[in-house]
Amino acid sequence: MFLPRDMDFPSNPQPELGKLEQIVYQFLLKSLHIILDSRVSSLHPRDRSGDLSSASRVRKSDKWFNLVLGDRPAALDNLSFWHRNLMDPMIIDVILVREGSNLVGVSAETVIERWVVQYEYPRVVAAQTGENSTLYKKTYKRSIILLRALYTHMRLLPAYKIFRQLSTSSQTYNFDIIYKVSSFSDPFSRADEEMMEEYSFTPVEAFPGRLCISVTYRSTLTEFKLEPSTSLPPRIITDYVGSPDTDPLRSFPSSEKGVHGISFPLRPVRAPSSVPLQRPHSWTSGFHRATFSAQNQPIVGSPPAYRPSALPYDYSSPPADMYSNRAQHYRMPIHQRAISYDDYQLSPPFSPSPSPSSPSYISSGNPMHTLMRPETAPVSIPFPMTSRSSRFLSPNSFDPNRSSLPPLSLRSRKTEPSSQESPCGTASFRKIEALRSGEMQNHYAGQKMIRDSRDDSGRFSGLLSSSGSPRIGFSRSSSRLSFQDDLDDNDFSCPFDVDDVDTLDFEARKSQDAAVGVLVHTLRTAPPLRQDPSCYSSHSMKIELEGGVTSASGLFMPRKTADALEELRSYGEMKDLLLSKSGALVFSKDET
Amino acid sequence: MNCEVCQLKELEVEHYEIREVLRCILHTIVFHRALGLVRPKDIDLELFDITYVQCGDEDLEKKIEEKIEQFIGWVEKHPNKKSQICLSFYEVKNRQPSWFTNKIERLYWEQWYVNWNVAQHPKAHSSKSHHSKVVLDPGESALEETNARRAALEASLREALFQIIKFVNEKKDHVPPIPNPEGVVYFPYEITIPSSSDSTFGMDMIKRMLQTGHPTMLS
Repeated sequence: MFLPRDMDFPSNPQPELGKLEQIVYQFLLKSLHIILDSRVSSLHPRDRSGDLSSASRVRKSDKWFNLVLGDRPAALDNLSFWHRNLMDPMIIDVILVREGSNLVGVSAETVIERWVVQYEYPRVVAAQTGENSTLYKKTYKRSIILLRALYTHMRLLPAYKIFRQLSTSSQTYNFDIIYKVSSFSDPFSRADEEMMEEYSFTPVEAFPGRLCISVTYRSTLTEFKLEPSTSLPPRIITDYVGSPDTDPLRSFPSSEKGVHGISFPLRPVRAPSSVPLQRPHSWTSGFHRATFSAQNQPIVGSPPAYRPSALPYDYSSPPADMYSNRAQHYRMPIHQRAISYDDYQLSPPFSPSPSPSSPSYISSGNPMHTLMRPETAPVSIPFPMTSRSSRFLSPNSFDPNRSSLPPLSLRSRKTEPSSQESPCGTASFRKIEALRSGEMQNHYAGQKMIRDSRDDSGRFSGLLSSSGSPRIGFSRSSSRLSFQDDLDDNDFSCPFDVDDVDTLDFEARKSQDAAVGVLVHTLRTAPPLRQDPSCYSSHSMKIELEGGVTSASGLFMPRKTADALEELRSYGEMKDLLLSKSGALVFSKDET
Repeated sequence: MNCEVCQLKELEVEHYEIREVLRCILHTIVFHRALGLVRPKDIDLELFDITYVQCGDEDLEKKIEEKIEQFIGWVEKHPNKKSQICLSFYEVKNRQPSWFTNKIERLYWEQWYVNWNVAQHPKAHSSKSHHSKVVLDPGESALEETNARRAALEASLREALFQIIKFVNEKKDHVPPIPNPEGVVYFPYEITIPSSSDSTFGMDMIKRMLQTGHPTMLS
């Protein structure tokens, strides 16, 4: 039985056979480390400065083969766990995951590289020539060279380029790279084989066998059209109510810190497709899940694919679920991969993440600058940890039938119209979930109306009795309700304007609880959503044009355009009247 | 122990590309031969879409830079010449001082030859005049030409790197034992650039042969 031990060589006092085991085992570990390090972005950015004298102490185990690589991917910790027999090949598949082309598409996965690292044991063992210690020293020296060559080679293959794209750019791309380590693999299809080339490193003699590394790789990746994902369907607007960066409500006392960590991908360039696929299954580093069909069922040894790229998201509360199609096909891969889900416990994801703020529905990059489009998502209220964990533990309850909706959090896809008594945040959360509907225009308009009403300090009572689409804007509006007297922002051209954000931020920190309370009440009393978007749109537009003075009481009734115009006219008259009066006053004052 | 020799394919470079290309090649070779403890350092070339690996040792970098500067100086003085740089690894053997030499003997066990063809388009006006006959769009065709040449050079450089890896993999027996397993220790090496005299590079090789009394296998 091979027992790997993490000891230095050659100072290891173990018997000779143990030395061979050590070399082989460490060779496997090191090659796995080298391969993963340059194909899959790890959690901890590796120190690539080449500076050995840097502060981080070089671990003893990292000195093997005189190649210091730094932090090891979590998969390495599991190598000893699953790779029972040192003579089994270690097959590392580097897999390109691309987002589906349609909204409901699944992501496509292609093996772009397959590395095979193996200690080949001959059937007939040749006679040993030379002493063991000399042999092992030679083997060790040659292994050093081989691993250096491997290291260099990794950077010359096509996959390295896209790895660099993912790991260094701040853009989001429509692809991701994951890997799978196992001791066996499905052969490539004929079509795939034709696209691939092979390269084998010269084996290193390691008496009685030899250490071999070979790779089958796609000679070109240009066919995949890997590019930054810029033109995606509606994005989650992050600076809406409830956004970690904008919303006062979100910063519950316990959660200040984690906000940025969860708002945005720590590694900004993760393809969204990877997120839902990973989310429930790779919360913690080292959590594995299978990616391929059931025939890959390992039996003992094949760990499922590990998507370390998900790891930054692991610590974010909601998934960085930016796009609707992501969310939609979120479940698909789950069902396709029937094998493993039962096998792997879905652990609650969010222990490390303190922030309750819902929306890390992040749009790419900088959420603060994301402009809202009319069809953007309804807001979601920040909610405390409790609700979050429950949400994530039941991914299968999500409704996959979202077609035209803008990116919603998985959470908010639940259709749960009933309101419940619960802690403020949770209730709000559930209410928000109930809000999803197909009419984004409603939402947009509703928000606008709410904002307009907010601007008028005396009007907010109307909001509490409002209903329908404006509910969407509640979380946002309610946050304002408590500080409407401080509002100085009259620009309601877009509820999600950055201006609004600034205002909100500025006033955000007071009376969060009050705001939440109001919000809850509002949600509870809100009537069902209206069905006539066109009315709202035009109505809201008119209101905007006129400077935003509206009657709150009539705010949420269905109205025709004519009614709206009528009302506007009356307001205009009132305004004129007031102005004329005040003008007279001033005039008279001046005279005195 | 025989001396393994690797002749890299000739590279056609522009004057300003020498530095990057030479740095890339020399560091790559040394990385595979610096078998002491290293923390590899990835370096992206600016002119090409290639990433190579350095050992991360400052002394080494300095020495290589010095040599590169010397070589560039030589190229400037000897334009339009094919040239060669030799990177050699040797073992130090103490030899009995003889009437031949008192020096400590160097036993070269590996030599790498980097072959250059430095194209000289040093002046802007000369290239303009070259294209002055072209009626349609001289600027663009020159640009296309440059791009094509650059792409070809990138492919050649990549080829050279693969060549290095292949050589390094296939021939390992001749590599002597690591002198000192602790610390960052490399095999002693030397970089030879053409001398300032106009003598052919081969003269230097003959000199070395005489010194070491060791047949070098020049292909």
